[in-house]
Amino acid sequence: MILLLLLSIPSVASAAIMGTRRRRTMEWIHASATVVALIVGASIGTRIWAGEPVVSWSLLRADALSAFMIGIVTFVGAVAGLYAVAYMRLEFDDNHLSQVRLFYALFQLFIFTMLLAVATDNLGLMWVAIEGTTLATVFLVNLHDNHTGLEAAYKYLIISSVGIALAFMGTVLVFYAASIEVGEIGLSWTMLISIAARLNPNIVKLAFIFILIGYGTKAGLAPMHTWLPDAHSEAPAPISALMSGVLLNVGIYALIRFKTVTDIAAGPEFSSVWLMRFGLLSLGLAAAFLLSQRNYKRMLAYSSVEHTGIVALGLGFGGYWGLLGALLHMINHALTKSMLFLVSGNISLRYHTTEIYGVRGLLKTAPWTGFAFLWGTLALIGLPPFGPFISEFIIFRSGFAAHSTPYAVTGIALLVVVFAGMLASLNHMLYGQPSGPMEARDPLRWSMVPLALNAILLLGFGLTLPAGVRAFLGQVLKTVGVSL
Amino acid sequence: MPFARITNLLSFIFLLMSFLLLMQNSLAAQVRMFAVQSGVLSALAAAVAFFGGSKELFSVAVVFALIKVIVIPNVLNRAVTKIGIQRAVAPYLGTSATLGICAGLVVVAFYAMAPVTALKPLPTVDGIPLAFAGVLIGLFTTVNRRRALTQILGFLMLENSVFMVALLATYGVPLIVEMGVFLDVLVAVLILEVFVYRIRENFESIDVQHLGSLRG
Repeated sequence: MILLLLLSIPSVASAAIMGTRRRRTMEWIHASATVVALIVGASIGTRIWAGEPVVSWSLLRADALSAFMIGIVTFVGAVAGLYAVAYMRLEFDDNHLSQVRLFYALFQLFIFTMLLAVATDNLGLMWVAIEGTTLATVFLVNLHDNHTGLEAAYKYLIISSVGIALAFMGTVLVFYAASIEVGEIGLSWTMLISIAARLNPNIVKLAFIFILIGYGTKAGLAPMHTWLPDAHSEAPAPISALMSGVLLNVGIYALIRFKTVTDIAAGPEFSSVWLMRFGLLSLGLAAAFLLSQRNYKRMLAYSSVEHTGIVALGLGFGGYWGLLGALLHMINHALTKSMLFLVSGNISLRYHTTEIYGVRGLLKTAPWTGFAFLWGTLALIGLPPFGPFISEFIIFRSGFAAHSTPYAVTGIALLVVVFAGMLASLNHMLYGQPSGPMEARDPLRWSMVPLALNAILLLGFGLTLPAGVRAFLGQVLKTVGVSL
Repeated sequence: MPFARITNLLSFIFLLMSFLLLMQNSLAAQVRMFAVQSGVLSALAAAVAFFGGSKELFSVAVVFALIKVIVIPNVLNRAVTKIGIQRAVAPYLGTSATLGICAGLVVVAFYAMAPVTALKPLPTVDGIPLAFAGVLIGLFTTVNRRRALTQILGFLMLENSVFMVALLATYGVPLIVEMGVFLDVLVAVLILEVFVYRIRENFESIDVQHLGSLRG
């Protein structure tokens, strides 16, 4: 029942917002829905933490991996949702009330589709929900309704839809393999896992390729990532934060579910090799684009491709440490990137441009914004003492341990390239003199308060991994069949 | 076995419609071919429902026909009339090269689906490579076409083919999933239609080559 409650919060909120005329009412419904969802999400997490193996209700089911994802979705949803209220007041005045209504309603619908995707046992329903995330966000990408927004939204919809259709092909093939063995089994993941060892390995391998290309498109793996920089840079900042921080992770979540089945049916080598190849390609391609990036929102978007690549490498290296590193990196990337995209909203409100060359002296003109941007970017490029450093360290360490040395070495070299490229951009934006006289003023201040949570958690994950968190991640790993 | 013969025949006609679609020069004719292809697929669903003894699948066939034979072609036709462009030309490759490549893709499909057809648990299994060839052709068409509308047709062909693989390989997925998939596709097409109009208004063309300002 609690899962039904969780899913009903954003869906009811979305419907209620559509029927509202007053802006204040919309904002209240929206903000309270994100906070309540976080509380319910956290209580599901604690129930599983406390030892309850699964929470389920009809088609809905949450094991530890789902709870992990629900945590990420609702946390980033709340931070971005609270920021969004003040941001939208500055971006769209009361003459654009229909856009504001659409924004809040689709924001909630987006949260709903992501929660549904991770809280169901039915892989077909998961597919429907993940395609739903595209449909919910496509008008958000085009909210400003200009040329570039239109281009980004069209590309996003057509590329994601084609990609996701291939994922459906993969899903069908897996169930074909299952139905040969045991006849009718629905599309349940739990059932599938229980018979995975008997599945025909060749069919499962074929299916995994489709799944990897299909859900990899949503996760932002190269070379299917081409929609990502456009959509992330055109969408309003809170939506970019959600897309980058959470939506990509939902794609990875789907990959993890199928990887588990594939590993049992066909041995872990097969999925490993392909995940490593796509991961390294993503990392390399992102590094090339990050070296000379002119637009800071696109810079953050390409960095998402990079980090998806790192997570894919972690999944590919495999074993307890590879997967633990990948999970940790999913959290760290969600925290970092949502923070940075929200801060980028502040920057564009202050400078009215998304060009890196248009932004100078950020630390002087908007001190808090500049400080948050510095904090986030240092974490993002993998400097200690922040979380991403630790998770990247664990991932590459596991790469050497798994004898995937060439992949690990190339990956680390590419990280250095990214480091250099992003540090140069950061340097340019933070220091120097702004082109005109600008007094020190942050466009949004109170809205940035929730970001302090991201900042503190990033530092926390860099300094320590509390036993409780470690135990919870251990439970997550157990659901995908990996233990120390 | 009549079941195997009927499904094989329908699968073959299905793939034939993909080729016929690619040979058409006018958008209206392409939309017609798509509608016919969807009709064939709906008949295939009905056949599988009849021989496979699944009542659920009958309703899927009916809903499928409603959406893909009536609603979506109507939406596309409305778009064709409204933007006033009849000719569907301007692929990156010409018709003969396209057909050659698609013929090659059929061969690839048979090769790729070898592990699937190696086992013969179902009478419908021989149609799967044909359906998969449809997937590849749809994918290729989406990439090869410059016009937004023809890209959408490519996507729809791809979608049809994936549905057909599901039909032949598993006798359809559970009803609730099937309905969810239909809903998603319908909404996607409706949104894409809106975009076609907006691209037309903004760029005075539906040539997606104009969509090139976001690079790097």
